[in-house]
Amino acid sequence: MRDLFRRYRYLFLTIALLLSTLLLYSYNLRQRGATTFFERSVLTLTAPFQASFDGAFDSVTGFWDNYLWLIETRQRNQQLEAQNRQLKAQLQQVAEVRLQNQRLRELLAFVDDVDRPALPAQVIGEDASNWAQTIVIDKGTRAGLRDGLPVVAAEGVVGRIIKTAPNSSRVLLITDASSAVAALVQRTRTRGVARGRGRELTLDYALRTADIKIDDLLVTSGMGGVFPKGLILGRIAEVKRDEFGLFQLVDVLPAADFSHLEEVMVLLGEDR
Amino acid sequence: MRGFFLYLFFGFFFVLLQSSVFPVLLPPGLRPNLLLIVILYLGLSENFPRAVLVTLLLGGIQDSFSGTSLGLYVSVDLAILLLVRLLSEHLNAESPALLLLLIAAGTLVQNLLVGFCLTVFADAGPVMPILLPALPQQLIANLLAASFLLYFLLRLQPLFGTRSGLAGLVYQSKRHGS
Repeated sequence: MRDLFRRYRYLFLTIALLLSTLLLYSYNLRQRGATTFFERSVLTLTAPFQASFDGAFDSVTGFWDNYLWLIETRQRNQQLEAQNRQLKAQLQQVAEVRLQNQRLRELLAFVDDVDRPALPAQVIGEDASNWAQTIVIDKGTRAGLRDGLPVVAAEGVVGRIIKTAPNSSRVLLITDASSAVAALVQRTRTRGVARGRGRELTLDYALRTADIKIDDLLVTSGMGGVFPKGLILGRIAEVKRDEFGLFQLVDVLPAADFSHLEEVMVLLGEDR
Repeated sequence: MRGFFLYLFFGFFFVLLQSSVFPVLLPPGLRPNLLLIVILYLGLSENFPRAVLVTLLLGGIQDSFSGTSLGLYVSVDLAILLLVRLLSEHLNAESPALLLLLIAAGTLVQNLLVGFCLTVFADAGPVMPILLPALPQQLIANLLAASFLLYFLLRLQPLFGTRSGLAGLVYQSKRHGS
Protein backbone atom coordinates (compact mmCIF):
# COMPACT_ATOMS: atom_id res chain seq x y z
CA MET A 1 0.00 0.00 0.00
CA ARG A 2 2.80 2.34 0.96
CA ASP A 3 4.69 1.43 -2.23
CA LEU A 4 1.61 2.09 -4.28
CA PHE A 5 1.18 5.47 -2.64
CA ARG A 6 4.85 6.28 -3.11
CA ARG A 7 4.81 5.26 -6.75
CA TYR A 8 1.73 7.30 -7.62
CA ARG A 9 2.17 10.12 -5.10
CA TYR A 10 2.23 12.85 -7.78
CA LEU A 11 -0.93 11.50 -9.34
CA PHE A 12 -2.67 11.31 -5.95
CA LEU A 13 -1.47 14.80 -5.09
CA THR A 14 -2.71 16.15 -8.41
CA ILE A 15 -6.12 14.54 -8.01
CA ALA A 16 -6.37 15.81 -4.42
CA LEU A 17 -5.47 19.33 -5.56
CA LEU A 18 -8.05 19.31 -8.34
CA LEU A 19 -10.74 17.95 -6.03
CA SER A 20 -9.88 20.61 -3.44
CA THR A 21 -10.29 23.41 -5.95
CA LEU A 22 -13.59 21.97 -7.15
CA LEU A 23 -14.76 21.70 -3.53
CA LEU A 24 -13.73 25.32 -3.00
CA TYR A 25 -15.76 26.33 -6.07
CA SER A 26 -18.73 24.29 -4.95
CA TYR A 27 -18.56 25.78 -1.44
CA ASN A 28 -18.37 29.31 -2.84
CA LEU A 29 -21.35 28.65 -5.09
CA ARG A 30 -23.40 27.99 -1.96
CA GLN A 31 -22.05 31.18 -0.35
CA ARG A 32 -22.84 33.25 -3.43
CA GLY A 33 -23.96 36.27 -1.40
CA ALA A 34 -20.69 36.58 0.47
CA THR A 35 -17.50 38.22 -0.73
CA THR A 36 -14.53 36.11 0.34
CA PHE A 37 -11.49 37.57 2.06
CA PHE A 38 -9.38 36.75 -1.02
CA GLU A 39 -11.78 38.50 -3.40
CA ARG A 40 -12.09 41.51 -1.09
CA SER A 41 -8.30 41.79 -0.85
CA VAL A 42 -7.83 41.57 -4.63
CA LEU A 43 -10.59 44.10 -5.29
CA THR A 44 -9.24 46.46 -2.63
CA LEU A 45 -5.72 46.16 -3.94
CA THR A 46 -6.63 46.72 -7.57
CA ALA A 47 -9.40 49.33 -7.24
CA PRO A 48 -7.02 52.35 -7.21
CA PHE A 49 -5.18 50.96 -10.25
CA GLN A 50 -8.44 50.35 -12.08
CA ALA A 51 -9.57 53.88 -11.31
CA SER A 52 -6.20 55.24 -12.53
CA PHE A 53 -6.35 53.15 -15.72
CA ASP A 54 -9.88 54.34 -16.33
CA GLY A 55 -8.96 57.98 -15.68
CA ALA A 56 -5.87 57.81 -17.88
CA PHE A 57 -7.82 56.22 -20.72
CA ASP A 58 -10.59 58.78 -20.41
CA SER A 59 -7.98 61.55 -20.73
CA VAL A 60 -6.29 59.94 -23.74
CA THR A 61 -9.53 59.11 -25.55
CA GLY A 62 -10.91 62.53 -24.66
CA PHE A 63 -7.86 64.26 -26.14
CA TRP A 64 -8.02 62.04 -29.23
CA ASP A 65 -11.75 62.54 -29.77
CA ASN A 66 -11.84 66.27 -28.98
CA TYR A 67 -8.65 67.53 -30.57
CA LEU A 68 -7.32 65.01 -33.07
CA TRP A 69 -10.06 62.83 -34.54
CA LEU A 70 -12.28 65.58 -35.98
CA ILE A 71 -13.24 63.97 -39.28
CA GLU A 72 -16.91 64.54 -40.11
CA THR A 73 -17.29 66.83 -37.12
CA ARG A 74 -19.10 69.50 -39.14
CA GLN A 75 -21.63 67.04 -40.57
CA ARG A 76 -22.05 65.53 -37.11
CA ASN A 77 -22.64 69.00 -35.70
CA GLN A 78 -25.36 69.68 -38.25
CA GLN A 79 -26.98 66.34 -37.48
CA LEU A 80 -26.89 67.06 -33.77
CA GLU A 81 -28.42 70.50 -34.26
CA ALA A 82 -31.28 68.94 -36.18
CA GLN A 83 -31.62 66.27 -33.52
CA ASN A 84 -31.57 68.95 -30.84
CA ARG A 85 -34.51 70.74 -32.46
CA GLN A 86 -36.45 67.48 -32.58
CA LEU A 87 -35.63 66.69 -28.95
CA LYS A 88 -36.74 70.13 -27.82
CA ALA A 89 -40.10 69.50 -29.43
CA GLN A 90 -40.26 66.06 -27.81
CA LEU A 91 -39.32 67.53 -24.45
CA GLN A 92 -42.33 69.80 -24.57
CA GLN A 93 -44.49 66.76 -25.26
CA VAL A 94 -42.82 64.88 -22.39
CA ALA A 95 -43.56 67.74 -19.99
CA GLU A 96 -47.21 67.46 -20.97
CA VAL A 97 -47.13 63.67 -20.49
CA ARG A 98 -45.45 64.08 -17.10
CA LEU A 99 -48.24 66.34 -15.88
CA GLN A 100 -50.79 63.89 -17.18
CA ASN A 101 -48.93 61.01 -15.49
CA GLN A 102 -48.88 62.89 -12.21
CA ARG A 103 -52.60 63.41 -12.36
CA LEU A 104 -53.22 59.74 -13.20
CA ARG A 105 -50.96 58.51 -10.42
CA GLU A 106 -52.76 60.62 -7.90
CA LEU A 107 -56.03 59.40 -9.28
CA LEU A 108 -55.18 55.71 -9.24
CA ALA A 109 -52.73 55.80 -6.32
CA PHE A 110 -50.59 53.79 -8.69
CA VAL A 111 -47.10 53.69 -7.25
CA ASP A 112 -45.10 51.93 -9.91
CA ASP A 113 -41.99 53.97 -9.90
CA VAL A 114 -38.64 54.02 -8.17
CA ASP A 115 -38.79 55.98 -4.98
CA ARG A 116 -35.53 55.11 -3.26
CA PRO A 117 -32.41 57.02 -2.40
CA ALA A 118 -29.78 56.43 -5.07
CA LEU A 119 -26.01 56.69 -5.15
CA PRO A 120 -24.19 57.54 -8.40
CA ALA A 121 -21.16 55.42 -9.23
CA GLN A 122 -18.67 55.27 -12.06
CA VAL A 123 -17.90 52.13 -14.03
CA ILE A 124 -14.17 51.45 -13.68
CA GLY A 125 -13.88 47.94 -15.10
CA GLU A 126 -15.55 45.09 -16.94
CA ASP A 127 -15.44 41.34 -16.62
CA ALA A 128 -12.06 39.80 -17.35
CA SER A 129 -13.62 36.82 -19.13
CA ASN A 130 -15.41 36.62 -22.46
CA TRP A 131 -18.53 34.85 -21.17
CA ALA A 132 -19.52 36.42 -17.84
CA GLN A 133 -21.26 39.78 -17.77
CA THR A 134 -20.12 41.83 -14.80
CA ILE A 135 -18.79 45.35 -14.25
CA VAL A 136 -16.80 47.00 -11.47
CA ILE A 137 -17.98 50.31 -9.98
CA ASP A 138 -15.99 52.77 -7.88
CA LYS A 139 -18.19 52.65 -4.76
CA GLY A 140 -18.12 50.01 -2.05
CA THR A 141 -18.96 49.32 1.56
CA ARG A 142 -17.53 52.69 2.65
CA ALA A 143 -20.26 54.37 0.62
CA GLY A 144 -22.89 52.14 2.20
CA LEU A 145 -23.19 49.54 -0.55
CA ARG A 146 -23.84 45.88 0.14
CA ASP A 147 -24.49 42.70 -1.82
CA GLY A 148 -27.85 42.48 -3.55
CA LEU A 149 -28.51 46.19 -4.13
CA PRO A 150 -30.03 46.98 -7.55
CA VAL A 151 -28.07 49.05 -10.06
CA VAL A 152 -29.75 51.10 -12.78
CA ALA A 153 -28.83 53.46 -15.60
CA ALA A 154 -30.91 56.19 -17.23
CA GLU A 155 -32.11 53.70 -19.87
CA GLY A 156 -33.11 50.91 -17.50
CA VAL A 157 -31.96 48.14 -15.18
CA VAL A 158 -28.25 47.32 -15.19
CA GLY A 159 -27.98 44.53 -12.60
CA ARG A 160 -27.30 43.90 -8.93
CA ILE A 161 -24.24 44.04 -6.69
CA ILE A 162 -22.68 40.63 -6.02
CA LYS A 163 -19.31 41.47 -4.46
CA THR A 164 -18.29 44.41 -2.32
CA ALA A 165 -14.95 45.79 -1.20
CA PRO A 166 -14.35 49.03 0.75
CA ASN A 167 -13.96 51.18 -2.40
CA SER A 168 -15.34 49.09 -5.23
CA SER A 169 -18.10 46.63 -6.01
CA ARG A 170 -18.84 44.12 -8.71
CA VAL A 171 -22.22 44.19 -10.43
CA LEU A 172 -23.80 41.16 -12.10
CA LEU A 173 -25.45 42.46 -15.28
CA ILE A 174 -28.95 41.28 -16.15
CA THR A 175 -27.51 39.80 -19.36
CA ASP A 176 -25.31 37.31 -17.47
CA ALA A 177 -26.42 33.70 -17.82
CA SER A 178 -26.75 33.34 -14.04
CA SER A 179 -29.01 36.39 -13.71
CA ALA A 180 -32.78 35.99 -13.49
CA VAL A 181 -35.16 38.89 -12.84
CA ALA A 182 -38.91 38.64 -12.22
CA ALA A 183 -40.47 40.63 -15.05
CA LEU A 184 -43.76 41.57 -16.66
CA VAL A 185 -44.80 42.86 -20.04
CA GLN A 186 -45.94 46.41 -19.41
CA ARG A 187 -48.83 46.42 -21.91
CA THR A 188 -50.49 43.13 -20.95
CA ARG A 189 -49.01 42.55 -17.45
CA THR A 190 -47.89 39.07 -18.56
CA ARG A 191 -45.46 37.67 -16.02
CA GLY A 192 -42.21 35.83 -16.68
CA VAL A 193 -38.56 35.61 -15.72
CA ALA A 194 -36.01 37.68 -17.66
CA ARG A 195 -32.92 35.51 -17.90
CA GLY A 196 -29.55 36.65 -19.25
CA ARG A 197 -28.20 35.17 -22.46
CA GLY A 198 -24.86 36.85 -23.07
CA ARG A 199 -25.74 40.10 -24.80
CA GLU A 200 -29.52 39.68 -24.73
CA LEU A 201 -32.29 38.43 -22.48
CA THR A 202 -34.99 35.82 -22.82
CA LEU A 203 -38.38 35.99 -21.14
CA ASP A 204 -38.89 32.52 -19.66
CA TYR A 205 -42.17 31.05 -18.40
CA ALA A 206 -44.40 33.36 -20.42
CA LEU A 207 -47.49 31.28 -21.18
CA ARG A 208 -48.06 30.37 -24.82
CA THR A 209 -51.48 31.96 -24.78
CA ALA A 210 -50.22 35.27 -23.37
CA ASP A 211 -50.44 38.31 -25.62
CA ILE A 212 -46.85 39.45 -26.26
CA LYS A 213 -45.88 41.50 -29.30
CA ILE A 214 -42.60 42.72 -30.73
CA ASP A 215 -41.59 46.11 -29.28
CA ASP A 216 -43.58 45.60 -26.07
CA LEU A 217 -41.80 47.03 -23.05
CA LEU A 218 -40.56 44.60 -20.39
CA VAL A 219 -40.36 45.94 -16.83
CA THR A 220 -39.44 44.49 -13.44
CA SER A 221 -42.38 43.01 -11.55
CA GLY A 222 -40.92 43.64 -8.09
CA MET A 223 -41.55 40.00 -7.17
CA GLY A 224 -37.92 38.92 -6.71
CA GLY A 225 -37.35 41.29 -3.80
CA VAL A 226 -34.25 42.85 -5.39
CA PHE A 227 -35.56 45.28 -8.00
CA PRO A 228 -38.40 47.71 -7.32
CA LYS A 229 -41.47 47.35 -9.51
CA GLY A 230 -41.68 49.10 -12.87
CA LEU A 231 -38.03 49.51 -13.87
CA ILE A 232 -37.42 49.08 -17.60
CA LEU A 233 -35.55 45.91 -18.57
CA GLY A 234 -35.85 46.04 -22.36
CA ARG A 235 -38.05 45.62 -25.40
CA ILE A 236 -39.39 42.42 -26.92
CA ALA A 237 -37.34 41.63 -30.03
CA GLU A 238 -38.74 38.27 -31.14
CA VAL A 239 -41.66 36.02 -30.21
CA LYS A 240 -41.87 32.35 -31.22
CA ARG A 241 -44.77 30.07 -30.45
CA ASP A 242 -44.34 26.36 -31.09
CA GLU A 243 -47.33 24.20 -31.84
CA PHE A 244 -46.85 22.39 -28.58
CA GLY A 245 -45.49 23.36 -25.20
CA LEU A 246 -46.69 25.50 -22.34
CA PHE A 247 -44.53 28.55 -22.94
CA GLN A 248 -43.54 30.81 -25.81
CA LEU A 249 -39.96 31.73 -26.68
CA VAL A 250 -39.41 35.45 -26.20
CA ASP A 251 -36.18 37.31 -26.95
CA VAL A 252 -35.65 40.69 -25.33
CA LEU A 253 -33.20 43.47 -26.21
CA PRO A 254 -31.96 45.10 -22.99
CA ALA A 255 -32.76 48.80 -22.64
CA ALA A 256 -29.36 49.74 -21.25
CA ASP A 257 -26.39 49.78 -23.61
CA PHE A 258 -23.92 47.73 -21.60
CA SER A 259 -21.04 48.36 -23.98
CA HIS A 260 -21.13 52.10 -23.25
CA LEU A 261 -21.92 52.18 -19.56
CA GLU A 262 -20.01 54.92 -17.77
CA GLU A 263 -22.18 56.03 -14.89
CA VAL A 264 -24.80 54.07 -13.00
CA MET A 265 -27.04 54.59 -9.97
CA VAL A 266 -27.16 52.16 -7.07
CA LEU A 267 -30.59 52.09 -5.43
CA LEU A 268 -30.20 52.06 -1.67
CA GLY A 269 -32.55 50.87 1.03
CA GLU A 270 -36.28 50.31 0.84
CA ASP A 271 -38.93 52.28 -0.99
CA ARG A 272 -39.68 55.56 0.77
CA MET B 1 11.22 34.11 -5.17
CA ARG B 2 11.71 37.07 -7.50
CA GLY B 3 10.22 35.04 -10.32
CA PHE B 4 7.18 34.22 -8.19
CA PHE B 5 6.43 37.89 -7.56
CA LEU B 6 7.14 38.71 -11.19
CA TYR B 7 4.43 36.25 -12.26
CA LEU B 8 2.00 37.75 -9.74
CA PHE B 9 2.84 41.25 -10.95
CA PHE B 10 2.16 40.22 -14.55
CA GLY B 11 -1.02 38.45 -13.42
CA PHE B 12 -2.33 41.63 -11.79
CA PHE B 13 -1.20 43.77 -14.70
CA PHE B 14 -2.82 41.49 -17.27
CA VAL B 15 -6.10 41.21 -15.38
CA LEU B 16 -6.21 45.02 -15.07
CA LEU B 17 -5.62 45.25 -18.82
CA GLN B 18 -8.42 42.74 -19.41
CA SER B 19 -10.92 44.48 -17.16
CA SER B 20 -10.10 48.17 -17.67
CA VAL B 21 -8.21 48.72 -20.93
CA PHE B 22 -9.41 46.08 -23.42
CA PRO B 23 -13.11 46.93 -22.88
CA VAL B 24 -12.33 50.50 -24.00
CA LEU B 25 -10.27 49.52 -27.04
CA LEU B 26 -11.60 46.17 -28.28
CA PRO B 27 -15.02 44.74 -29.13
CA PRO B 28 -16.37 42.17 -26.62
CA GLY B 29 -15.43 39.01 -28.55
CA LEU B 30 -11.90 40.10 -29.39
CA ARG B 31 -10.44 40.60 -25.93
CA PRO B 32 -7.54 38.20 -25.36
CA ASN B 33 -7.20 36.15 -22.21
CA LEU B 34 -3.65 37.02 -21.24
CA LEU B 35 -3.75 35.02 -18.01
CA LEU B 36 -4.25 31.83 -20.01
CA ILE B 37 -1.02 32.58 -21.86
CA VAL B 38 0.76 32.99 -18.52
CA ILE B 39 -0.67 29.66 -17.26
CA LEU B 40 0.49 27.83 -20.38
CA TYR B 41 3.87 29.45 -20.12
CA LEU B 42 4.11 28.39 -16.47
CA GLY B 43 3.30 24.81 -17.46
CA LEU B 44 6.15 24.78 -19.94
CA SER B 45 8.80 26.66 -18.04
CA GLU B 46 8.49 26.55 -14.28
CA ASN B 47 9.10 23.88 -11.67
CA PHE B 48 5.96 22.09 -10.55
CA PRO B 49 5.36 23.49 -7.02
CA ARG B 50 5.90 27.10 -8.10
CA ALA B 51 3.76 26.63 -11.22
CA VAL B 52 0.90 25.16 -9.13
CA LEU B 53 1.09 27.91 -6.49
CA VAL B 54 1.18 30.72 -9.05
CA THR B 55 -1.63 29.11 -11.05
CA LEU B 56 -3.87 28.84 -7.96
CA LEU B 57 -3.26 32.51 -7.16
CA LEU B 58 -3.75 33.65 -10.76
CA GLY B 59 -6.96 31.60 -10.95
CA GLY B 60 -8.16 33.31 -7.77
CA ILE B 61 -7.32 36.72 -9.18
CA GLN B 62 -9.19 35.91 -12.39
CA ASP B 63 -12.17 34.69 -10.32
CA SER B 64 -12.14 37.98 -8.45
CA PHE B 65 -12.55 39.81 -11.75
CA SER B 66 -15.03 37.57 -13.53
CA GLY B 67 -18.09 35.46 -12.96
CA THR B 68 -19.83 35.12 -9.63
CA SER B 69 -17.94 32.62 -7.46
CA LEU B 70 -14.35 32.10 -6.36
CA GLY B 71 -12.99 28.73 -7.46
CA LEU B 72 -14.05 28.37 -11.09
CA TYR B 73 -10.86 29.64 -12.70
CA VAL B 74 -8.79 28.20 -9.84
CA SER B 75 -9.99 24.71 -10.87
CA VAL B 76 -9.95 25.30 -14.62
CA ASP B 77 -6.50 26.90 -14.70
CA LEU B 78 -5.08 24.16 -12.47
CA ALA B 79 -6.51 21.49 -14.78
CA ILE B 80 -4.97 23.26 -17.80
CA LEU B 81 -1.61 23.52 -16.06
CA LEU B 82 -1.67 19.79 -15.25
CA LEU B 83 -2.57 18.93 -18.84
CA VAL B 84 0.28 21.07 -20.17
CA ARG B 85 2.56 19.43 -17.64
CA LEU B 86 1.60 15.98 -18.84
CA LEU B 87 2.21 16.98 -22.44
CA SER B 88 5.28 19.13 -21.97
CA GLU B 89 7.64 16.15 -21.68
CA HIS B 90 6.78 15.24 -25.27
CA LEU B 91 6.86 18.74 -26.74
CA ASN B 92 9.59 20.89 -28.12
CA ALA B 93 8.77 23.95 -26.07
CA GLU B 94 11.35 26.06 -27.89
CA SER B 95 9.20 26.17 -31.00
CA PRO B 96 7.11 29.38 -31.20
CA ALA B 97 4.67 27.67 -33.59
CA LEU B 98 4.06 24.92 -31.06
CA LEU B 99 3.48 27.48 -28.34
CA LEU B 100 0.84 29.11 -30.52
CA LEU B 101 -0.75 25.73 -31.17
CA LEU B 102 -0.77 25.09 -27.44
CA ILE B 103 -2.48 28.43 -26.87
CA ALA B 104 -5.15 27.53 -29.43
CA ALA B 105 -5.71 24.17 -27.69
CA GLY B 106 -5.62 25.87 -24.26
CA THR B 107 -8.32 28.34 -25.33
CA LEU B 108 -10.50 25.48 -26.52
CA VAL B 109 -9.95 23.42 -23.36
CA GLN B 110 -10.50 26.40 -21.07
CA ASN B 111 -13.85 27.24 -22.69
CA LEU B 112 -14.97 23.62 -22.51
CA LEU B 113 -13.93 23.27 -18.86
CA VAL B 114 -15.60 26.56 -17.90
CA GLY B 115 -18.76 25.43 -19.70
CA PHE B 116 -18.59 22.03 -18.00
CA CYS B 117 -18.08 23.47 -14.50
CA LEU B 118 -20.84 26.06 -14.93
CA THR B 119 -23.25 23.46 -16.27
CA VAL B 120 -22.48 20.78 -13.69
CA PHE B 121 -21.83 22.80 -10.53
CA ALA B 122 -23.60 26.14 -10.97
CA ASP B 123 -27.16 26.92 -11.94
CA ALA B 124 -25.91 29.30 -14.59
CA GLY B 125 -28.50 28.62 -17.28
CA PRO B 126 -27.52 27.74 -20.84
CA VAL B 127 -23.84 28.74 -20.87
CA MET B 128 -22.60 26.72 -23.84
CA PRO B 129 -24.69 28.73 -26.36
CA ILE B 130 -22.87 31.81 -25.03
CA LEU B 131 -19.39 30.29 -24.94
CA LEU B 132 -19.28 28.40 -28.22
CA PRO B 133 -20.19 31.20 -30.67
CA ALA B 134 -17.56 33.42 -29.01
CA LEU B 135 -14.88 30.74 -29.29
CA PRO B 136 -13.51 31.54 -32.81
CA GLN B 137 -13.08 35.22 -31.94
CA GLN B 138 -11.49 34.31 -28.62
CA LEU B 139 -9.13 31.97 -30.44
CA ILE B 140 -8.05 34.69 -32.87
CA ALA B 141 -7.64 37.23 -30.06
CA ASN B 142 -5.51 34.88 -27.94
CA LEU B 143 -3.34 33.86 -30.89
CA LEU B 144 -2.79 37.47 -31.93
CA ALA B 145 -1.95 38.46 -28.36
CA ALA B 146 0.42 35.52 -27.96
CA SER B 147 2.12 36.31 -31.30
CA PHE B 148 2.51 39.91 -30.23
CA LEU B 149 3.95 38.89 -26.85
CA LEU B 150 6.34 36.42 -28.49
CA TYR B 151 7.51 39.04 -30.98
CA PHE B 152 7.91 41.53 -28.16
CA LEU B 153 9.85 39.04 -26.00
CA LEU B 154 12.07 38.06 -28.93
CA ARG B 155 12.99 41.70 -29.33
CA LEU B 156 13.67 42.02 -25.62
CA GLN B 157 15.50 38.72 -25.25
CA PRO B 158 18.98 40.21 -25.73
CA LEU B 159 18.28 42.52 -22.80
CA PHE B 160 17.38 39.64 -20.47
CA GLY B 161 20.03 37.26 -21.73
CA THR B 162 19.38 33.94 -23.42
CA ARG B 163 18.97 31.94 -20.22
CA SER B 164 16.11 33.88 -18.75
CA GLY B 165 13.58 31.08 -19.18
CA LEU B 166 11.24 32.14 -21.96
CA ALA B 167 9.14 29.33 -23.42
CA GLY B 168 8.78 29.48 -27.17
CA LEU B 169 12.23 30.98 -27.49
CA VAL B 170 15.59 29.45 -28.10
CA TYR B 171 17.55 28.47 -24.95
CA GLN B 172 14.38 28.85 -23.10
CA SER B 173 14.15 27.32 -19.66
CA LYS B 174 15.95 25.84 -16.72
CA ARG B 175 13.54 22.91 -16.85
CA HIS B 176 14.01 22.06 -20.50
CA GLY B 177 17.69 22.85 -20.57
CA SER B 178 19.51 24.68 -23.30
